[in-house]
Amino acid sequence: MNLLTFLDGASSGPSSGVEAPDLEDLRSVTEDVWMALVGEADPLLPRAVPAGAPFDAAGAWSAATTITGGWRGVVTVELDEQVARHLTAEMLAIGSADDVTDGDLADAVGELVNMVGGNVKSLMPGPSVLSLPAVAAGRAAFTHDVQVACRLDLAWRGAPVRVSVHVPHPSPTDPHTGGSR
Amino acid sequence: MTTSAAFASVSALVRRETSMVYDEGKEYLVEARLNPLAQAKGLGLEEYVARLAFDADERRKVVDALTINETSWFRDHSPYQAFTDTMLPSLLEDRATARHLRIWSAACSSGQEAYSIAMLLDQHLPIGWSYEIVATDISTQMLERVRAGRYSQVEVNRGLPATSLVRYFTRVGRDWEIAERLRERVTVRHLNLAAPYVGLGSFDVIWLRNVLIYFDAATKADILRRMLPMLAPDGYLLLGSSETTLDLPPDLAASWQREQIGRVPAYRRASAMTLSSTGA
Amino acid sequence: MRAMIIDDSRAMRSILRRIVTGLHFETSEAEHGQAALDQMRAGVVPDVCLVDWNMPVMDGYTFITEVRSNPEWRDVTLMMVTTESEQRQIVRALAAGAHEYVIKPFTPDAIVDKLSLLGLVPAGGVRAGDGVTA
Repeated sequence: MNLLTFLDGASSGPSSGVEAPDLEDLRSVTEDVWMALVGEADPLLPRAVPAGAPFDAAGAWSAATTITGGWRGVVTVELDEQVARHLTAEMLAIGSADDVTDGDLADAVGELVNMVGGNVKSLMPGPSVLSLPAVAAGRAAFTHDVQVACRLDLAWRGAPVRVSVHVPHPSPTDPHTGGSR
Repeated sequence: MTTSAAFASVSALVRRETSMVYDEGKEYLVEARLNPLAQAKGLGLEEYVARLAFDADERRKVVDALTINETSWFRDHSPYQAFTDTMLPSLLEDRATARHLRIWSAACSSGQEAYSIAMLLDQHLPIGWSYEIVATDISTQMLERVRAGRYSQVEVNRGLPATSLVRYFTRVGRDWEIAERLRERVTVRHLNLAAPYVGLGSFDVIWLRNVLIYFDAATKADILRRMLPMLAPDGYLLLGSSETTLDLPPDLAASWQREQIGRVPAYRRASAMTLSSTGA
Repeated sequence: MRAMIIDDSRAMRSILRRIVTGLHFETSEAEHGQAALDQMRAGVVPDVCLVDWNMPVMDGYTFITEVRSNPEWRDVTLMMVTTESEQRQIVRALAAGAHEYVIKPFTPDAIVDKLSLLGLVPAGGVRAGDGVTA
């Protein structure tokens, strides 16, 4: 494994030179969105995670939104379940994180990715369209026709949060035969 | 000073200045924002707070650190309304020959005040008129921000009419940069208000808003005394919404004449006012 | 004063509702522009609409052009609240008749500032800690 990819909570730069958001812009978007939704009480802190490692929360919620048009990409957020519950309780003014339902989580986590995705869309070439968010109770998985362009690993109250941007892979490879990369 | 006494003291300072309430539950925030300032002085938090009573610079930094999200465009509205509706027409008449206005933003911070004024002048000054805005602050970091004229997406959401955003700013990444033609009208200078004012010239309007509170009574009086010759005889001084000159030594208080413009108290040079009422 | 919140996101409607009720507005809600127009035609005409851009059925931009083409609704203030932050999008919205524009993410203060700019709230209407949260 390439040690250079053990970056401090973030990795960026697809190998192919496809246009993608700047990592610092993604960080700034995520922090602004988080602060607006949850307040300043606990900040998002960087978290060191090896490149390529799947999201490692014991329970997770995730959501994705796809951007198509002048630029194509997928923006995904993954949250530790407790983080997702707390975020949801804040956004929907529900008294306790224990009282949030699946429907509440889907609304809140969907809006989170919508806001991050919408801001990413506004940074990339337009005009383009943001899809409705797709939310799942579980971590995200990505097909081989996309590659990670930008990935931010963060912690909120010690629990994992990940925001990533994927772009279409210019030359599809078969991971099992180790084709060209 | 114990932590809770320190917190109470800081809380009171911020409430006096900004009317923001930092009550229990927000100690973490005060601690997080103040620790770097205390460390920069090589002090523990309690000791740092205990010294705030004697250190206007640090008090300013504390309030800045705690109200960092509170700067906005056209802050409080009404002074800007008074500027446009009353002060400007009056100055346009009185400066009809020179056709040039000089404004001082005397505690400019990140520059929203200076550029708000610039936007108004750009909209309301007739063709053939020019203006200069001198923006001063004690913080070189803030002055750099004013020179750069770049503001974040969060900052431009605060009180800036959308029509002004698209008219005067260009988006650069996620930030918004003020138009070069406004930036070139703003002269940025480092200045400590408690120190002498040298080489600034005189001004038609001085904006001295929300900064006198950080100074003790003696320094405040000294500043207001030294402001008198900085202002054109028929010029205006504007203070913050909750500030007045009432608690000054009588002779100084008499040198400043209060003129109420709607909800806005503006201050004129008293000696000049008697002259101007006779048309001189 | 009545505010209508038009956004397909239940979470965003919840957030905005809390902010404006904190300012003592009565509120009504709609999930998209068509639903909002239906309410207005049925007689629920707000003083201000907080409108998202991207919504199914009828988006915020179209809603704004519809409202501005009806002289009966001349006094309805229209404020877009959206992630669309490109300069040309803001210009388009203002040209279509939006009075104000707030970029998401926003803090409660940003909404209060803009409503205050529009004369719908007394200046300095809310202090931090007055119970409004984002």
